[in-house]
Amino acid sequence: MAITINGTEVPLPEDPRMSLAEFLRDGLHLTGTKIGCNQGGCGACTVLIDGQRVLSCLTLAVQAEGREVTTIEGLSSGDDLHPLQEAFIAHDGFQCGYCTPGQICAATAMLRELAEGMPSSVTGDLSRPAPLTAEEIRERMSGNLCRCGAHNGIIAAILQVAQEGAA
Amino acid sequence: MTDFLRPATVEDALALMAAGGVVPLAGGTDLYPATQRRALPGLVLDVTGLPGLCGITTGPAGLRIGAATTWTALARATLPPALAALQQAAVEVGGIQIQNAGTIGGNLCNASPAADGVPPLLVLDTEVELVGHRGIRRLPLSQFLTGPRQTARQADELLTALHIPASALSGQSHFRKLGARAYLVISIAMVAVRLDLQAGRISHAALAVGACSATACRLPQVESALTGAPAAEAPALIRDADVAAALSPLDDLRATAAYRSGAAAELLRRSVATLCQPVPA
Ligand SMILES: Cc1cc2nc3c(=O)[nH]c(=O)nc-3n(C[C@H](O)[C@H](O)[C@H](O)COP(=O)(O)OP(=O)(O)OC[C@H]3O[C@@H](n4cnc5c(N)ncnc54)[C@H](O)[C@@H]3O)c2cc1C
Ligand code: FES
Ligand code: FES
Repeated sequence: MAITINGTEVPLPEDPRMSLAEFLRDGLHLTGTKIGCNQGGCGACTVLIDGQRVLSCLTLAVQAEGREVTTIEGLSSGDDLHPLQEAFIAHDGFQCGYCTPGQICAATAMLRELAEGMPSSVTGDLSRPAPLTAEEIRERMSGNLCRCGAHNGIIAAILQVAQEGAA
Repeated sequence: MTDFLRPATVEDALALMAAGGVVPLAGGTDLYPATQRRALPGLVLDVTGLPGLCGITTGPAGLRIGAATTWTALARATLPPALAALQQAAVEVGGIQIQNAGTIGGNLCNASPAADGVPPLLVLDTEVELVGHRGIRRLPLSQFLTGPRQTARQADELLTALHIPASALSGQSHFRKLGARAYLVISIAMVAVRLDLQAGRISHAALAVGACSATACRLPQVESALTGAPAAEAPALIRDADVAAALSPLDDLRATAAYRSGAAAELLRRSVATLCQPVPA
């Protein structure tokens, strides 16, 4: 009865009703994961479960039993930032920073979805890989809101990392 | 751990549900926002690990979609063009995080009049499979949805699968929805259309509209007006009055009733026009 969080096995919370977001923040003090709306609408609580992006506010911690959870704390190693973190800084992809961990976790999964050839609702030609355009990235990041309105910087940062990865 | 159940088999799940007070949980994307954390009612039973509830299989009788199949899995699957509408709906449900967790079965059991999965499944003549400790039954989706947030599911039954008969797997389909903006809003109207074209004429038409009546519905009158029509003339045969007659839209803060049914008619015309476009050689 354990979950692996950022590579470390931790026992499940005693209260099976506890959301994964609450467990991460209050149970494990991994406060990088934010809670905005607590009802699925904003994306601030996005984490990765087995590499897939999910909303930790709508997931019970016990539902992640036996699976690998990655939070924003697990993306960097020490002072070595993840390429997306560096790009967010370079492109001013945030202002207050509240949405940023969720944006970066979502973008991490999104880059993998792109690499796997998953289409979005704005991908016209499904027989070819989706083009790396701002429009594609915006569509694919639509589950993450930024109240400060840093979206342009966010899209620019992700686009840069996506293009470097594709090069 | 008595209030969170994760049985390994459908039989175990049904035995637990027979005792009463058990709430099935799939992706949680409707259940959670509806009930708020900590107040999740009664015993919660996670259906996502049950064998046979995830995934899509084809057989001689048609296609079977497990109730706990996620929107992401639907979008990624290789399916006949008749299911294009369902796949288009899948990639527009919430954001990707919602698509990764949310399931088609949860969408149907939650029974919102604005559930995006319903119109694409109605044009596929879908039947739902319900299993309880007393046995298994199948009923047409139109009979399963009995009203806003109401279904024919008994409290001790699980929705296990959707069946699409082979006869409904022909032709091409298309889905369109209209909201106040593209993302994260409840739709004002949504439509699904499935057409069979033969020698430039419509040999079979299936049309459904959601968010414009207590439950999404088919439009038999408009369907018969289209049957036999030359493809090029089809969109013009969809008359506002016929569409309005089949619906009973709400007047609410999102849109007036007249706006909704007018929008539904226009969405239908555009979807039919898309499907009737000559395929570039
Ligand atoms: C931000 C956001 C955006 C959304 N956008 C859309 C949208 O664009 N279009 C749309 O249609 N919906 C949307 N939804 C609603 C929701 O995501 C979908 O309806 C989803 O498909 C529900 O599936 P689920 O697996 O999460 O259901 P759950 O929340 O797990 O369950 C929903 C209901 O069904 C019951 N249930 C689930 N599975 C079974 C089963 N196998 N047998 C019996 N009962 C069962 C549960 O008890 C519950 O009552 C959105 C939700 C959020 C939070
Ligand atoms: S806090 Fe989870 S989506 Fe807003
Ligand atoms: S940076 Fe403030 S919410 Fe996005």
